[in-house]
Amino acid sequence: MAQVALRDPDDALDVVQDAMLKLARNYASRPAAEWRPLFYRILENGIRDLQRRRSVRKRFMTWLPGAKEDPDNEAQDPLENVADSGPEIPEVLMQGQAMEKLEESLRALPARQREAFMLRNFEGLDVAETATAMGCSEGSVKTHYSRAVHTLRDQLGEVW
Amino acid sequence: MNEQSLGQSPGDPRTVEPQTAFEERSRALFQDSVESLSFATRSRLTRARHAALDAASAGRRPWFLRVGFLTPAGVTAAAVLAAFLWMGSPVGQHVVTVADGQSTLEDLDMVASSDDTIDMLQDDLEFYDWAEKDANSEPAA
Repeated sequence: MAQVALRDPDDALDVVQDAMLKLARNYASRPAAEWRPLFYRILENGIRDLQRRRSVRKRFMTWLPGAKEDPDNEAQDPLENVADSGPEIPEVLMQGQAMEKLEESLRALPARQREAFMLRNFEGLDVAETATAMGCSEGSVKTHYSRAVHTLRDQLGEVW
Repeated sequence: MNEQSLGQSPGDPRTVEPQTAFEERSRALFQDSVESLSFATRSRLTRARHAALDAASAGRRPWFLRVGFLTPAGVTAAAVLAAFLWMGSPVGQHVVTVADGQSTLEDLDMVASSDDTIDMLQDDLEFYDWAEKDANSEPAA
Protein backbone atom coordinates (compact mmCIF):
# COMPACT_ATOMS: atom_id res chain seq x y z
CA MET A 1 0.00 0.00 0.00
CA ALA A 2 2.76 2.41 0.96
CA GLN A 3 4.74 1.22 -2.04
CA VAL A 4 1.87 2.01 -4.42
CA ALA A 5 1.37 5.46 -2.95
CA LEU A 6 5.05 6.44 -2.60
CA ARG A 7 6.71 4.51 -5.46
CA ASP A 8 9.89 4.20 -3.42
CA PRO A 9 10.54 0.93 -1.57
CA ASP A 10 12.79 2.53 1.06
CA ASP A 11 10.36 5.33 1.80
CA ALA A 12 7.52 2.82 1.91
CA LEU A 13 9.37 0.63 4.41
CA ASP A 14 10.28 3.66 6.53
CA VAL A 15 6.65 4.75 6.70
CA VAL A 16 5.45 1.24 7.55
CA GLN A 17 8.09 0.87 10.25
CA ASP A 18 7.17 4.24 11.70
CA ALA A 19 3.48 3.32 11.72
CA MET A 20 4.23 0.06 13.53
CA LEU A 21 6.23 1.87 16.19
CA LYS A 22 3.60 4.55 16.70
CA LEU A 23 0.88 1.94 16.98
CA ALA A 24 2.86 -0.07 19.51
CA ARG A 25 3.92 2.94 21.57
CA ASN A 26 0.65 4.79 21.67
CA TYR A 27 -2.12 2.28 21.20
CA ALA A 28 -0.91 -1.04 22.62
CA SER A 29 -3.40 -0.71 25.47
CA ARG A 30 -6.36 -0.28 23.14
CA PRO A 31 -8.61 -3.26 22.37
CA ALA A 32 -7.08 -5.61 19.81
CA ALA A 33 -10.02 -5.11 17.45
CA GLU A 34 -8.98 -1.48 17.01
CA TRP A 35 -5.36 -2.18 16.08
CA ARG A 36 -5.82 -2.90 12.39
CA PRO A 37 -7.84 0.20 11.49
CA LEU A 38 -5.60 2.30 13.76
CA PHE A 39 -2.50 0.97 12.06
CA TYR A 40 -3.81 1.83 8.63
CA ARG A 41 -4.90 5.26 9.78
CA ILE A 42 -1.41 5.97 11.11
CA LEU A 43 0.04 4.58 7.89
CA GLU A 44 -2.17 6.76 5.70
CA ASN A 45 -1.21 9.82 7.74
CA GLY A 46 2.46 8.91 7.38
CA ILE A 47 2.10 8.48 3.63
CA ARG A 48 0.32 11.82 3.30
CA ASP A 49 2.92 13.58 5.45
CA LEU A 50 5.75 12.21 3.36
CA GLN A 51 4.03 13.17 0.11
CA ARG A 52 3.53 16.69 1.46
CA ARG A 53 7.17 16.93 2.55
CA ARG A 54 8.32 15.70 -0.85
CA SER A 55 6.18 18.30 -2.56
CA VAL A 56 7.54 21.11 -0.37
CA ARG A 57 11.12 19.92 -0.85
CA LYS A 58 10.62 19.75 -4.59
CA ARG A 59 9.29 23.31 -4.68
CA PHE A 60 12.11 24.48 -2.46
CA MET A 61 14.75 22.80 -4.60
CA THR A 62 13.47 24.47 -7.76
CA TRP A 63 14.00 27.88 -6.13
CA LEU A 64 17.65 27.17 -5.36
CA PRO A 65 19.99 28.30 -8.13
CA GLY A 66 21.97 25.43 -9.60
CA ALA A 67 20.30 22.89 -7.34
CA LYS A 68 18.92 20.60 -9.95
CA GLU A 69 20.12 17.35 -8.52
CA ASP A 70 18.21 15.53 -5.87
CA PRO A 71 20.32 15.56 -2.68
CA ASP A 72 18.87 12.20 -1.72
CA ASN A 73 20.04 10.65 -4.93
CA GLU A 74 23.00 8.72 -3.60
CA ALA A 75 25.56 6.93 -5.72
CA GLN A 76 23.98 3.86 -7.20
CA ASP A 77 25.17 0.46 -6.20
CA PRO A 78 26.44 -1.13 -9.45
CA LEU A 79 25.19 -4.51 -8.25
CA GLU A 80 21.65 -3.16 -8.42
CA ASN A 81 21.97 -2.89 -12.18
CA VAL A 82 23.21 -6.44 -12.71
CA ALA A 83 20.57 -8.55 -14.43
CA ASP A 84 18.95 -11.24 -12.33
CA SER A 85 20.24 -14.59 -13.56
CA GLY A 86 17.28 -16.47 -12.11
CA PRO A 87 14.77 -18.21 -14.35
CA GLU A 88 12.21 -15.95 -15.93
CA ILE A 89 8.82 -17.51 -15.58
CA PRO A 90 6.38 -16.01 -18.09
CA GLU A 91 3.45 -16.36 -15.74
CA VAL A 92 5.23 -14.52 -12.96
CA LEU A 93 6.17 -11.78 -15.40
CA MET A 94 2.59 -11.52 -16.58
CA GLN A 95 1.38 -11.30 -13.01
CA GLY A 96 3.97 -8.63 -12.35
CA GLN A 97 2.95 -6.64 -15.40
CA ALA A 98 -0.71 -6.93 -14.46
CA MET A 99 0.09 -5.68 -10.97
CA GLU A 100 2.07 -2.79 -12.44
CA LYS A 101 -0.92 -1.81 -14.56
CA LEU A 102 -3.15 -1.99 -11.53
CA GLU A 103 -0.72 0.17 -9.53
CA GLU A 104 -0.61 2.76 -12.32
CA SER A 105 -4.38 2.94 -12.44
CA LEU A 106 -4.55 3.13 -8.66
CA ARG A 107 -2.15 6.10 -8.62
CA ALA A 108 -4.42 7.91 -11.06
CA LEU A 109 -7.42 7.56 -8.74
CA PRO A 110 -8.40 10.30 -6.29
CA ALA A 111 -6.63 9.67 -2.97
CA ARG A 112 -9.74 8.73 -1.00
CA GLN A 113 -10.89 6.24 -3.63
CA ARG A 114 -7.43 4.71 -3.72
CA GLU A 115 -7.36 4.40 0.05
CA ALA A 116 -10.80 2.79 0.16
CA PHE A 117 -9.90 0.31 -2.56
CA MET A 118 -6.57 -0.70 -1.04
CA LEU A 119 -7.90 -1.01 2.49
CA ARG A 120 -10.98 -3.01 1.46
CA ASN A 121 -9.61 -5.11 -1.36
CA PHE A 122 -5.89 -5.48 -0.62
CA GLU A 123 -5.77 -5.34 3.14
CA GLY A 124 -9.10 -7.05 3.76
CA LEU A 125 -10.63 -4.52 6.13
CA ASP A 126 -14.40 -4.56 6.39
CA VAL A 127 -16.47 -1.42 5.85
CA ALA A 128 -16.48 -0.40 9.51
CA GLU A 129 -12.73 -0.89 9.90
CA THR A 130 -12.07 1.00 6.68
CA ALA A 131 -14.25 3.86 7.91
CA THR A 132 -12.21 4.02 11.13
CA ALA A 133 -8.95 3.90 9.22
CA MET A 134 -10.03 6.63 6.83
CA GLY A 135 -11.75 8.74 9.47
CA CYS A 136 -15.04 8.91 7.56
CA SER A 137 -18.50 7.33 7.57
CA GLU A 138 -19.26 3.83 6.35
CA GLY A 139 -21.44 5.34 3.64
CA SER A 140 -18.48 7.33 2.33
CA VAL A 141 -16.34 4.20 2.29
CA LYS A 142 -18.95 2.38 0.19
CA THR A 143 -19.16 5.31 -2.23
CA HIS A 144 -15.38 5.68 -2.58
CA TYR A 145 -14.91 1.94 -2.98
CA SER A 146 -17.66 1.55 -5.54
CA ARG A 147 -16.36 4.45 -7.63
CA ALA A 148 -12.83 3.07 -7.44
CA VAL A 149 -13.92 -0.39 -8.61
CA HIS A 150 -15.92 1.05 -11.50
CA THR A 151 -13.11 3.33 -12.65
CA LEU A 152 -10.47 0.59 -12.40
CA ARG A 153 -12.65 -1.96 -14.16
CA ASP A 154 -13.38 0.50 -16.96
CA GLN A 155 -9.65 1.08 -17.41
CA LEU A 156 -8.36 -2.45 -16.99
CA GLY A 157 -11.24 -4.71 -17.90
CA GLU A 158 -12.68 -7.49 -15.79
CA VAL A 159 -9.54 -9.69 -15.85
CA TRP A 160 -6.77 -7.79 -17.57
CA MET B 1 -0.07 -6.78 20.97
CA ASN B 2 1.22 -9.66 18.86
CA GLU B 3 2.85 -10.18 15.48
CA GLN B 4 -0.47 -10.83 13.77
CA SER B 5 -1.67 -7.39 14.77
CA LEU B 6 1.37 -5.77 13.21
CA GLY B 7 0.56 -6.83 9.70
CA GLN B 8 2.33 -10.16 9.43
CA SER B 9 -0.41 -11.47 7.19
CA PRO B 10 -1.90 -8.53 5.31
CA GLY B 11 -5.41 -9.02 4.16
CA ASP B 12 -7.11 -11.58 6.32
CA PRO B 13 -9.20 -13.62 3.82
CA ARG B 14 -11.91 -14.15 6.41
CA THR B 15 -12.84 -10.50 6.28
CA VAL B 16 -12.96 -10.26 2.50
CA GLU B 17 -16.00 -10.86 0.40
CA PRO B 18 -14.99 -10.35 -3.22
CA GLN B 19 -18.07 -9.80 -5.31
CA THR B 20 -16.73 -9.60 -8.81
CA ALA B 21 -14.07 -11.28 -10.90
CA PHE B 22 -12.30 -7.94 -11.03
CA GLU B 23 -12.09 -7.70 -7.26
CA GLU B 24 -10.92 -11.30 -6.96
CA ARG B 25 -8.30 -10.77 -9.66
CA SER B 26 -6.89 -7.59 -8.14
CA ARG B 27 -6.78 -9.16 -4.71
CA ALA B 28 -4.98 -12.23 -6.03
CA LEU B 29 -2.43 -10.04 -7.82
CA PHE B 30 -1.79 -8.12 -4.63
CA GLN B 31 -1.33 -11.34 -2.65
CA ASP B 32 1.14 -12.58 -5.27
CA SER B 33 3.08 -9.34 -5.09
CA VAL B 34 3.26 -9.65 -1.29
CA GLU B 35 4.48 -13.24 -1.52
CA SER B 36 7.16 -12.26 -4.00
CA LEU B 37 8.65 -9.58 -1.76
CA SER B 38 12.41 -9.77 -1.64
CA PHE B 39 14.22 -11.37 1.26
CA ALA B 40 15.68 -7.99 2.21
CA THR B 41 12.24 -6.43 2.40
CA ARG B 42 10.83 -9.30 4.45
CA SER B 43 13.78 -9.12 6.77
CA ARG B 44 13.38 -5.40 7.28
CA LEU B 45 9.66 -5.77 7.97
CA THR B 46 10.39 -8.51 10.49
CA ARG B 47 12.93 -6.29 12.25
CA ALA B 48 10.46 -3.42 12.26
CA ARG B 49 7.81 -5.68 13.76
CA HIS B 50 10.14 -6.82 16.50
CA ALA B 51 11.15 -3.23 17.24
CA ALA B 52 7.49 -2.27 17.53
CA LEU B 53 6.78 -5.20 19.82
CA ASP B 54 9.72 -4.18 22.01
CA ALA B 55 8.33 -0.65 22.09
CA ALA B 56 4.93 -1.99 23.11
CA SER B 57 6.53 -3.99 25.94
CA ALA B 58 8.45 -0.93 27.08
CA GLY B 59 5.23 1.05 26.96
CA ARG B 60 3.71 -1.14 29.64
CA ARG B 61 6.36 -0.04 32.17
CA PRO B 62 5.53 2.96 34.35
CA TRP B 63 6.73 6.25 32.93
CA PHE B 64 9.24 6.90 35.73
CA LEU B 65 11.03 3.64 34.88
CA ARG B 66 11.16 4.56 31.23
CA VAL B 67 12.92 7.88 31.97
CA GLY B 68 16.15 5.93 32.43
CA PHE B 69 16.06 4.91 28.78
CA LEU B 70 15.76 8.42 27.43
CA THR B 71 18.74 10.08 25.85
CA PRO B 72 20.21 13.15 27.63
CA ALA B 73 18.60 15.38 25.03
CA GLY B 74 15.35 13.57 25.55
CA VAL B 75 15.60 14.06 29.31
CA THR B 76 16.14 17.78 28.79
CA ALA B 77 13.17 18.01 26.49
CA ALA B 78 11.02 15.99 28.90
CA ALA B 79 12.07 18.30 31.75
CA VAL B 80 11.18 21.37 29.70
CA LEU B 81 7.88 19.76 28.81
CA ALA B 82 7.17 19.00 32.46
CA ALA B 83 7.97 22.59 33.43
CA PHE B 84 5.82 23.84 30.57
CA LEU B 85 2.87 21.74 31.69
CA TRP B 86 3.39 22.70 35.32
CA MET B 87 3.62 26.43 34.65
CA GLY B 88 0.75 26.22 32.22
CA SER B 89 -1.48 24.51 34.78
CA PRO B 90 -4.16 26.69 36.33
CA VAL B 91 -2.53 26.90 39.77
CA GLY B 92 -3.81 29.99 41.51
CA GLN B 93 -6.89 30.14 39.36
CA HIS B 94 -8.67 27.27 41.03
CA VAL B 95 -7.88 24.53 43.50
CA VAL B 96 -5.95 21.74 41.79
CA THR B 97 -7.73 18.44 42.34
CA VAL B 98 -6.30 14.95 42.39
CA ALA B 99 -7.99 14.29 39.06
CA ASP B 100 -6.18 17.29 37.55
CA GLY B 101 -2.85 16.01 38.78
CA GLN B 102 -3.49 12.52 37.42
CA SER B 103 -4.61 13.91 34.12
CA THR B 104 -1.45 16.03 33.82
CA LEU B 105 0.75 13.05 34.67
CA GLU B 106 -1.06 10.90 32.13
CA ASP B 107 -0.67 13.62 29.53
CA LEU B 108 3.01 13.91 30.36
CA ASP B 109 3.44 10.16 30.19
CA MET B 110 1.71 10.00 26.84
CA VAL B 111 3.60 12.83 25.20
CA ALA B 112 6.94 11.96 26.78
CA SER B 113 6.68 8.45 25.36
CA SER B 114 6.59 9.88 21.86
CA ASP B 115 9.94 10.56 20.25
CA ASP B 116 8.14 12.80 17.78
CA THR B 117 7.04 15.10 20.57
CA ILE B 118 10.50 15.28 22.01
CA ASP B 119 11.98 15.94 18.59
CA MET B 120 9.34 18.55 17.95
CA LEU B 121 10.05 20.24 21.26
CA GLN B 122 13.76 20.28 20.58
CA ASP B 123 13.22 21.75 17.14
CA ASP B 124 10.63 24.33 18.03
CA LEU B 125 11.44 25.31 21.59
CA GLU B 126 11.59 29.02 20.81
CA PHE B 127 8.28 28.88 19.02
CA TYR B 128 6.52 27.22 21.96
CA ASP B 129 8.10 29.70 24.33
CA TRP B 130 6.78 32.54 22.19
CA ALA B 131 3.37 30.88 21.83
CA GLU B 132 3.06 30.47 25.59
CA LYS B 133 4.01 34.12 26.24
CA ASP B 134 1.66 35.28 23.55
CA ALA B 135 -1.20 33.20 24.93
CA ASN B 136 -0.63 34.54 28.46
CA SER B 137 -0.22 38.19 27.46
CA GLU B 138 -3.07 40.63 28.06
CA PRO B 139 -4.93 41.69 24.92
CA ALA B 140 -4.11 45.23 23.81
CA ALA B 141 -6.59 47.80 25.08
